[in-house]
Amino acid sequence: MEKTRKWRWGVNRWFVLLFAILGFFAAQAYPPVLPHIQLPAEVTAHFGNFAWTNTMTAMVIGDVILLLIALLVSRAAKSGQLVPSGFSGAVEALMEVIYNLTESTAGRWAKSIFPFFAAITLLVLVSNWIELIPGVDSIGLIEKAHEGGHAVEQVLPGVVTIAPEEGEFALIPYVRVLSTDLNFTVALALTSVFMTQVFGVRALGPRYFEKFINVRGIFTRPIFGVIDFAVGLLEMISEFSKILSFSFRLFGNIFAGSVLLFVIGTLIPVFAQSGFLLLEFFVGLIQAFVFGMLTMVFMSQAVAGHGEHAEEHGH
Amino acid sequence: MDVEAAKLIGAGLAMIGTIGAGLGIGVLVNGAVQGIARNPDASGNVQTNMILGIAFAEAVAIYCLVVALLILFVG
Repeated sequence: MEKTRKWRWGVNRWFVLLFAILGFFAAQAYPPVLPHIQLPAEVTAHFGNFAWTNTMTAMVIGDVILLLIALLVSRAAKSGQLVPSGFSGAVEALMEVIYNLTESTAGRWAKSIFPFFAAITLLVLVSNWIELIPGVDSIGLIEKAHEGGHAVEQVLPGVVTIAPEEGEFALIPYVRVLSTDLNFTVALALTSVFMTQVFGVRALGPRYFEKFINVRGIFTRPIFGVIDFAVGLLEMISEFSKILSFSFRLFGNIFAGSVLLFVIGTLIPVFAQSGFLLLEFFVGLIQAFVFGMLTMVFMSQAVAGHGEHAEEHGH
Repeated sequence: MDVEAAKLIGAGLAMIGTIGAGLGIGVLVNGAVQGIARNPDASGNVQTNMILGIAFAEAVAIYCLVVALLILFVG
């Protein structure tokens, strides 16, 4: 028997149609302009010597969102319901997926490694998805451009928009996606790699560093001992390249995503950007998951040991 | 040649490296899908490892992209 669908599009479809038509006319009246693209974050305010950039604003917003989620879920957990409903149910499902994945990879270390996986995934997820909120990257201060500026056009009293004509002004957005700031991704990568070493030392003690400087076999087995030593040096290099690849993977994906959204929004102002927003939704999700999962996998490798005696020593 | 033009050509050349990443991801997903088709019960495990492998293969393409972005927008 076929179920009749209860939920219908209802009044929402008229909103969608209204916004599509509004967008079409807005794009006719004020054609979008390709913003000035630059790698470092723009400074929006000065506190004495301290320059407050627009990515820091995004970080504060992301942290507030995460704290709100935590408050909401903890209240739902304290309410005594065994089966959480609505939003906290969704968070529980996500946490369950992450925990099961950690447990299947890390075994008995799952409880220590899980917080890093979950925290990194959630923070990167929120900071990536800020990209999807309208107004991010497009509302801000109008300032004198250093090069290639545009003219401005009055829309409402006190509100101006950038016009396509040549001029001397540029837009400095109030909020810019956090992951497009290399400082954030490098900090996160350093945290991840440093905590991997901490977990390795906690699990194996000083023997953990034998992975890097391996002199055990150098006298007993001259040829293979030297090879082991060289492999240890390569391991050390790979630890440093992890920092590089972690930070550039996240930064490159999300920055390229923002540039793509800028360019598509300028070329085809109506409809086309919706598809690319969907793409960016998935890219943000996958990158957040990959960052967290790689951290978890590297930590599990670090605690699992490397030599013949690793198993008996672990505790 | 104009410096600006040379920058654009350089950025385009830098992106050639993504060919390798594309081939790598293709081979990787080929293997993963064949594995899932033979043993559908293991699909969860295979998918996790596939995403990890894609992330590693994609990192090379992202390096190319970062180099191209640096050429275009810095200095």
